Amino acid sequence: MRRSKTPFGGLILLAAMGLAMLGPIMTVMVWAFAVKWRYPNLVPSEWGLKYWHVILGRSTVIEPILTSLALTSVATTLAALICWPAAYAFARLQFPGRQLLLFSFIAANAVPKFTLFVSIAVVFLQLGMVGTFWGVVMVQMLSAILFMIWIPTAAFRGIPPALEEAGFDLGASRLRVFWSITLPQAMPALAASYVLAFVAIMFEVDSALLIGAPKITTMPLLMLSLSAQVIVQEAAVLCVMIWVPCFALLLLTRRFMSSKGIAQGFGA
Amino acid sequence: MVDDLTAPVGSRGRGQMMGQGFAGLALVAAPLVLLIVLVLFPTVSMVANTFHVTGEGGRAFSLAKFAAFFADDYSVENLRYTLVWTVISCGTALSISLGLALYLRFSEGRIATMIHALSLFPLFVPAIVISYAMVRFLGPNGLFQLLLEKVGFTGYTTPYLTPVGPYIAFVWESLPLPVLVLSAGLAQVSDHAIEAARDLGAGPVRIFSQILLPQLKRSLLIGFALIFLGVVGSFTVPYLLGPPAPEMMGVYMQRTLGNMRPEEAQVQAVILMAVAAIVGGFYIATMLRNQRSR
Repeated sequence: MRRSKTPFGGLILLAAMGLAMLGPIMTVMVWAFAVKWRYPNLVPSEWGLKYWHVILGRSTVIEPILTSLALTSVATTLAALICWPAAYAFARLQFPGRQLLLFSFIAANAVPKFTLFVSIAVVFLQLGMVGTFWGVVMVQMLSAILFMIWIPTAAFRGIPPALEEAGFDLGASRLRVFWSITLPQAMPALAASYVLAFVAIMFEVDSALLIGAPKITTMPLLMLSLSAQVIVQEAAVLCVMIWVPCFALLLLTRRFMSSKGIAQGFGA
Repeated sequence: MVDDLTAPVGSRGRGQMMGQGFAGLALVAAPLVLLIVLVLFPTVSMVANTFHVTGEGGRAFSLAKFAAFFADDYSVENLRYTLVWTVISCGTALSISLGLALYLRFSEGRIATMIHALSLFPLFVPAIVISYAMVRFLGPNGLFQLLLEKVGFTGYTTPYLTPVGPYIAFVWESLPLPVLVLSAGLAQVSDHAIEAARDLGAGPVRIFSQILLPQLKRSLLIGFALIFLGVVGSFTVPYLLGPPAPEMMGVYMQRTLGNMRPEEAQVQAVILMAVAAIVGGFYIATMLRNQRSR
């Protein structure tokens, strides 16, 4: 097999990709620690944490962050509680309509989410659920379902049946086998699905805007309003403060998610 | 995903099968209810609503709401604008992903690994973060302009608040999935087939069009559908980076709903859903065919 001999072309591609993919984020990173950065200087003339103090000292910033943390934790945890058992059933139990049901969960992904949220918003308007905590939680759970069904289902399937069968042969009940054999092996993937759903919901603008606003202000909605502001640093600080920890968490999940697995999840 | 498990673990005898059926349904009931309450019911009621008008004689079937949408120049322009730029974004993102996937298929070493990682990076970056970052990177006096001016290029006009602004962000955030899907497709082409063709004197173009491309048809279709469905209903990217008018349908629907005109927002949503359903239909059909052939 011919492998590219000239690393030169590869280096140019790497440089272009590096600039295109990392350039925008780097700009935000620099802005977050810039006190003064005036055109046409390539780097800030004054660095510091001034705007971190400004942001953290403001209740209009802290409150949306706390709201988002509460909403996201509740929605993700509830979604996990109902989706993980379902994923186990899809992977390990035989029941009527199993294929069709699993498929309908994946196919729900083929509908643009924003149109779904519009339809839900109209129903919620009539029910008086717009702008309520639980209204937003319900819609956010919907965003979690995709991660929480297909990753765990694939994980439960990936566990070799031999171990579980050995457990059954020794007379253990299904619950016992699940608790002592299946669950420990599936745990990393379950944790990964939790993190993925958590971060996705944490940064989701659409549901919060259509169902929550204006009564409920979440962190992404705050970011949306700060993004257009004259003082650049405030949104930059918020971005770095919330996104960088999330990014670190997401990197941890990479270990449990193969590229092939993701591609297969989307039907490749 | 939907492939069959012919013999589930621990299933023995009929009695246990029945028990399994009951337990299985009980376990999937809760998310299913959520899907029915939050997807099926609102969608069906929305579609039904848009095909009816309520007048003196009660509720009657009518296409009047759609007629009103298509009679309004601004609405039609928004729909056209959304579709045109979605397709352009899909074409660009798919071409770049194909190039990257091909490069990655025939390269190894540290540079290829780094390029692979970079192409997957957007998976970790939420839309709101990249939109804001693009404002600061591509915007007026942004870092990109500064870099260009440092190398002596001064004619930069910012794409910020033009259709090109969201377009760049769409392509940026759309790269990872098609790269993954196309790489999975290319991995199925054996080295032997390519070597055999090369031994017979086939050049790179010939190998690409005769050996690789036919194998990639499904992957390309899935890649296109994934990008299309992600872009067509997006809100954050066009809201922060796009021009005030025309609007992408996501922004338009949000504003219509915000102006307390839910019925018009529903019509806009149903029209967008119909467009997406065509692409989504291809996606689901391809997905099913892939599962069957696995």
